[in-house]
Order: sequence, then C-alpha cells, then structure tokens
Amino acid sequence: MATQVEFNRSLLGQPLPAGTFTVSKEGILAFCRAVGETNPLYTDEEWARRQGHPTLLAPPTYPNLFIRHLGRPEVLSVPVRQRMHAGQAVEPLRPIYAGDTLSATTRLKDVYTKTGRTGTMAFIVWETTFTNQRGEEVARVRESFMARL
Amino acid sequence: MRSFADVHLGDTIGPVEHTFTTEGVRAFCTLWGQTGESRFTSEEVARREGLPGPIVPGIMSMAVLSRLLTDWADGGSLRLLDVIFRQPVPHHQPLRLVGTVTDLRPEGGQGVVEVDVFLERADGERLVTGKALLAVPLDAG
Repeated sequence: MATQVEFNRSLLGQPLPAGTFTVSKEGILAFCRAVGETNPLYTDEEWARRQGHPTLLAPPTYPNLFIRHLGRPEVLSVPVRQRMHAGQAVEPLRPIYAGDTLSATTRLKDVYTKTGRTGTMAFIVWETTFTNQRGEEVARVRESFMARL
Repeated sequence: MRSFADVHLGDTIGPVEHTFTTEGVRAFCTLWGQTGESRFTSEEVARREGLPGPIVPGIMSMAVLSRLLTDWADGGSLRLLDVIFRQPVPHHQPLRLVGTVTDLRPEGGQGVVEVDVFLERADGERLVTGKALLAVPLDAG
C-alpha cells in the first residue's frame, strides 16, 4: 500500500537555475586518470582534433561531477533515518568540450513512497539539464535518492 | 570502428576486470569536491553509517561502466546510461564489468544498440545494474 509523504509540492516540475560550471582540460584529464579512462578522444587533444573535434571531449558521464554542487532545496518535510543514492541516468545529447561553460537547470521530477520489510522509503527524483555557452542542451542527468523514514 | 553489422543480439561486452582502490576513490572524491573523510574514504565513517567498509561513489561506478561501453563501441557514442545502485561497491575487491546486447535497431541513419550492463562481484552478485543505449555507424565504411 502506498504511503503519503509530506514534501514541498510547489517544487514539482519547477525549473531551478542550479549553477554554472566550467569544463577544464585539467579536469577532464584528472577524471580520466581517476577512472582509468584511456580513450584518446578524452585524453589526447591532438587525436581529438584529428577526429574533427575542436579540442578534448569530456567523457559521457563527466556532468555527474557537477551534480553535488547544484544548489537545491530540501524536499522532504519529515525526519529521515538514512539516505542512499538509488540510481542515476546520464543522457549525453551533444559533445562537451574542454573550455565549455555549462549552465545547470534542475527540476524535481517525482516523489513517491514504497513500504517494504524495513519500513517506509521515500524516493526523490531530480532531473538536471546542462546547457553550453551556445545555448545547446548537452546532457541530461536524472538522479534517484532513497530516504528511509 | 565497430559497425551495426558487427553486432548481434546476445553479444557479450566484456567481461573486464576492475578493482577500485582507496587511492583511486580518494582521487575521484577530490576531483568531485568531496573533501574530508566520508563513507567513500574512511573505514570509521563507513562503519558508523552501517556499511561494512568504505564504498565507491555511484558516479564513479557509472564512469567505469561508461568506459566499458565506449571502448566496445570503438567510435560509437553513448546515448544513455541508466543504472540502479543495488548494493554498496567495495574497495579492493576484484569486480567484473559486463554487458549483453538486448536489442538492435536502425534509427536516424545510425544503429542503436541496447545493452544490459552490470558491475558484479566475482561470484556473480550484481552490485550495479543498468541499461545503456549506444549509437554505432550502420556500416564500417
């Protein structure tokens, strides 16, 4: 049986400007080192140019790095025992290049509850769109968080 | 360069072995702006939060799954990676990155390959599961 959870309903679907982020060559290279990424499109600027790109590309999940820096309001108005990251989706829409400046707009997509053996859990789903300095949408990221109530 | 004609339903991607190290997770956390001790870097903090030990950030697991897919696509591009974090991912444990092709369709002049993707332990226990869409050229020429 579904349980209602108290949350700030005015946030649902509301686009919230959530910050501006610069994509640096050093950041891309550090990301690649940290995750063992060796694709030359992301690690070798000359190679990327020879493939027709203006400079280094960011790996597809690179926008995930910016998510924790988004300014977002608290959603639930009830006490939470534990929070977990339940899932995440990245949808790369266009290449992201070193030197790009990305603007993030985030929206609360959904809040729902499930009740299981360990009690009631609330799931909070946010979707964030990243737009580059030319006004092109370059990536969409959807995150789901689980809160034990 | 992998082309659509090279891909078949049921094809396996990987498996590729991967072990997350505490040093690697620390480097990732620094880059991510997660400074200070946390469930990702500290045994003590992790245990206080009810975890068996420090864990790997979900977005770091996603990054290595993305690497598996784009290495395999060899010139193709990732259109979607959608994952569920089913269990904490531990440090210093040999894990497997693996995918299975579940659907194929031509779309907009490219081939779209749908893949079930997993980060799993050596015993087959799946820690992260997901779906991915890759776009590859219809032919290698």
